[in-house]
Amino acid sequence: MKLTVFNGSPRGKKSNTAILLEHFLKGFMETEGNSYELEYIVNNKDVGELVEMFKDANNVILAFPLYTGCMSGIVKSFVESLKPLYGKQDNPSVGFMVQGGFPEAYQSRFVERYLEKLAKRLNCQYLGCIVKGGIEGIQGKPQFMTQKFFYYFYELGKVYGKSGKFDEEMLKNLAKPEHLSVLGRLFYKFARLTGMANIHWNKQLKENKAFEKRFDRPFT
Amino acid sequence: MKITILNGNSDNRKFDDYRNNLVKMLKLSDNSVAHFKLKEMEIRHCRGCFGCWLKTPGQCIYKDDSHAICREVINSDFVLFAAPLVMGFPSAVLKIAMDKLIPLLLPYIELVDNKECHHEKRYDKEYPLIGLLIEKGDDTDSEDIEIVSDIFVRFAIDFRTSSRFVMQTDIPVQEVSDEINRI
Repeated sequence: MKLTVFNGSPRGKKSNTAILLEHFLKGFMETEGNSYELEYIVNNKDVGELVEMFKDANNVILAFPLYTGCMSGIVKSFVESLKPLYGKQDNPSVGFMVQGGFPEAYQSRFVERYLEKLAKRLNCQYLGCIVKGGIEGIQGKPQFMTQKFFYYFYELGKVYGKSGKFDEEMLKNLAKPEHLSVLGRLFYKFARLTGMANIHWNKQLKENKAFEKRFDRPFT
Repeated sequence: MKITILNGNSDNRKFDDYRNNLVKMLKLSDNSVAHFKLKEMEIRHCRGCFGCWLKTPGQCIYKDDSHAICREVINSDFVLFAAPLVMGFPSAVLKIAMDKLIPLLLPYIELVDNKECHHEKRYDKEYPLIGLLIEKGDDTDSEDIEIVSDIFVRFAIDFRTSSRFVMQTDIPVQEVSDEINRI
């Protein structure tokens, strides 16, 4: 099976999306004969090239981070460039991967509906959408906090590499928490009250010598 | 009332006419209107660098036209996002500008309605109410409108305000103007 992957993160190669894709693709490559090509939307000056890649592909995965409850502007630009492929009969199958900074998968469910409709628009077979929240900051997290869901991405990729499908049960398990549980909410409130929740940000603010300016309101 | 319009039209004359009429009408009813034609402005897309939170708090590290937009938006009572639907969603021109509003928030996260994580407000004030004006494409159906409306409501929650309406350009301009004047 041949796969074409578009990484829609504005951070390109250094993105969290790239890390998640890496695990997914490792699983995908477990099936002999599989191959993939990977393109970064943000690096691509020539949109026409991306459209050609999409057009020639049999199977596509489009992965991106959630931006204010939706896809980012650059991913929307990419989607708009696919307009010439409207109504074609041999468009590829498409699956999506949306990762969010906030912990709840629920926050990505709205753009998921858009993506399913987009597949329909383009006459593409829709494979589903991998959704995972709580991804911002994973690059600084200890291994024990990430290894479980990295493994899920690997397994999802492995099943996809074999069957060309996303495993529904795995999607559901990976997405957890869909909403914050009562305990989860308590944890977040506690983390905020104690300042624990802000450590990640404040550390960077201090490194940048911008800590004193963190509440600046330049536009009033 | 102070109104900001973020106009994400790219090449649709009919949409331009509609929106120009709306601006005229809103001004006639004593509103001050700042009208940004996004396509003609220099707005670099958000790179997700978080510089606007962690290096130059409150503003994008790139001195592009997003600074002027943020200034008007945060000092408005109402912000109208306007764009034709392309591939079932408001134009990328508009979305690129919307992405650049995050300096108006803080990196810190709190539970909204004791339920969901969202970023805290940077400015200690009521954030402008928002509305969406869209023009249907040839391929738009009612499901698209529903999806777009629901995503806009999500944007409003992220932006710590609420959505007042999603309206389409197939109704008379006067109705949109009246709706805004009722806010």
